[in-house]
Amino acid sequence: MSQSAGRGVVITGVGVVNATVVGDSGALAAWLAQPVAGVRTGAVGARPAVRLPGDTLGGLIEPGEARRLARVCQLTIAAARLAVAEAGVDPARGLGLVVGSEMGDFTSTIAFADGYLARGPAGLSALLFPSTVMNTMAATTAIAVASRELSLTINVPTVAGELAVARAAAAVASGRVDAVLAGGVDELDPLVAELLDALGDEGVRGEGAAFLVLEAETAARARGATVLGRLTGTVWRSLPARPWGVGRRIASRAVEEALRHAGRPAPGWMYVSASGDGRRDAWEARVLSAALGARRPPAVSLAELVGHHAGLGALHVAAAAWTARSGVLQASAGGAPARVSGCGLVHGLARGGSQVALVVEPP
Amino acid sequence: MRRVLVTGLGAVSPFGAGVKAFWAGLAAGTCAIRPLTLIDPEGFRCRIAAEVPEVPEGSPRRSRADRLALSAAVEALEDAGLGTGERADAALVVGAVGGGMFEAESWYWARARGERAPGWAPALRSMLPAATAETLAHRLALGGPRHTVVTACSSGAVALAEAAALIADGVVDRAVAGGVDAMTRLCFMGFNTLKLLDPEPCRPFDRERRGMSIGEGAAFVVLEAAEQARARGARVYAELAGHGMTTDAHHVTAPEPEGEGMARAMGAALAAAGVTSRAVGYVNAHGTATPQNDRIEARAITRVFGPGGVIVSSNKSMIGHTMAAAGSLEAVATILALTHELVPPTANLTTPDPDVDFDCVPRLAREVALEHAVSNSFGFGGQNITLLFRRA
Repeated sequence: MSQSAGRGVVITGVGVVNATVVGDSGALAAWLAQPVAGVRTGAVGARPAVRLPGDTLGGLIEPGEARRLARVCQLTIAAARLAVAEAGVDPARGLGLVVGSEMGDFTSTIAFADGYLARGPAGLSALLFPSTVMNTMAATTAIAVASRELSLTINVPTVAGELAVARAAAAVASGRVDAVLAGGVDELDPLVAELLDALGDEGVRGEGAAFLVLEAETAARARGATVLGRLTGTVWRSLPARPWGVGRRIASRAVEEALRHAGRPAPGWMYVSASGDGRRDAWEARVLSAALGARRPPAVSLAELVGHHAGLGALHVAAAAWTARSGVLQASAGGAPARVSGCGLVHGLARGGSQVALVVEPP
Repeated sequence: MRRVLVTGLGAVSPFGAGVKAFWAGLAAGTCAIRPLTLIDPEGFRCRIAAEVPEVPEGSPRRSRADRLALSAAVEALEDAGLGTGERADAALVVGAVGGGMFEAESWYWARARGERAPGWAPALRSMLPAATAETLAHRLALGGPRHTVVTACSSGAVALAEAAALIADGVVDRAVAGGVDAMTRLCFMGFNTLKLLDPEPCRPFDRERRGMSIGEGAAFVVLEAAEQARARGARVYAELAGHGMTTDAHHVTAPEPEGEGMARAMGAALAAAGVTSRAVGYVNAHGTATPQNDRIEARAITRVFGPGGVIVSSNKSMIGHTMAAAGSLEAVATILALTHELVPPTANLTTPDPDVDFDCVPRLAREVALEHAVSNSFGFGGQNITLLFRRA
């Protein structure tokens, strides 16, 4: 068995909130047909960044949530609600939640600390404290969408969103839960950018959220859900690397295992985690070349259009499902789209060595 | 689904480094909650905590949390007798909340004062919860699937459940799993701000309880598929026979008042293990000693086991609430209770709360014949998990 063995896993809902797309799979498809880059707001830290306009969440968040919740929680809830609404899944029948995040609610954490530094114990906010724990997005989203089964927040550099989708798919495949809302979210805080600069990250930075509803295929089809794509192979592994570092080893079984689980000899196209972080991107390219050799197909990353953030993993999976349905793979930087066939591979390789491979197929 | 066995244990607790010290302290009912030394408590109502007395040595570039975790994980691997080859494909699942925040706070505090902040790069690199898993994987050559779960105070127990699922599903044959948290200013100040800390050592299930005590530590276990463990002749402590994970979806910090989500987690663990509530002899409670948590947890235990239907105790009366480490330290305590057939007491319990329908083992450990025991862990966000262990 593997993460993907057991029950079939399908995608029945998509929710995306980022600088370029706000909506469900229909909005994503419209953007993917003619993708344009989000508006870069210059540098946040030392690197270019793609930030959300201030009015992005209008209509997606209830007034009380807008008043009470941190922005990163609002992003999560907005994307989650879009995905659940599209899937038409009934949370009362059992809905799990897996949230990937690299930074959590860093803005609230800093505000909490600043309160103390400014005024001592009297400056501390009891309202902000729960947001210093990284599961605050999952906590508020579980309430918003009535998710009452397993709830996980997964933290890892670079591939938090991919890993959240893979972990959720494994939970569905194993029969532990019938439906899971899975994806990722991050917010771009100036101190986060400073931190990433200090750690040597060189990518295009972004923010936003993307979530998918994953369901057991039999249950989804039985209730007449529209299936947007199938996850037929999900594997996560790790390659040796120092913490936050870029490794040397390129031999990895993750891609091979994911393809074997899917019963496919090679992918027809790929979405990869390349984000402009030069050394990491080069490592990923070498790993994929070693895994696929001459079978290496065309690859794109949406990171340069929307900026890297933990929502990117689920966005790539949703985009791969669109490519599987449409046979169109857009070029990364405005070039001519390619006609592709076969299955798609969504791949992520993190600083520190975490690796995720997901095989996506049409409905 | 494959059976999952526990074949190695490691712990660093407020009793010191090592499982032996941990169990000796618990069995003796010793309270390790003392005046706080790591953080300036000036201006706060609570000035005590359960600190690890001597953090194992290691590179000064490593965070306190990483050093706690490394010590516990190395002990677990050595206890299990896992060699390099067996580690290469082993999964690693870490439950963490604070990461290396203690060092990052020092950096940020200095930065805010306009001082030159030394050691900024290691501090920032280790700040996020995932840093510990990266350090352990790199240092211990654990090359299988790796992830870090952040489910607040249930993180350590969730890590064990996640690793068990990977083994049960056949993804890996072995896993190292556990939780870690070092003391942080944010945590200490935050719980003070919420007025959830008792100025005196905490008293779970006592009528006069006034809140929790903060602690720190780490515990890791080696989990193995039964067939592989037996094949290599591994010593088996217990079977992790089932777990249940649920969410209240009720409130960010407060548990659902009827304990419905907690009871569902316990029920799911029983169902996964294929046993009835009558088979369970001991509940290692989350037992934080806040008036609300203990009342609601007792209500949930009653729903599952019936009034007085099981013995209950809380390790937090001795080692405080060790946050992300709590679930894994208490899992180790539960496993040792099964192996020794000795239930650790609830220290500081002098006046049992009449609303708690259970024998909470006040102050003195008790010999009890046990075949199954459960460990409850709950966290902010209504995150509930129950681990069910079967005697080997």
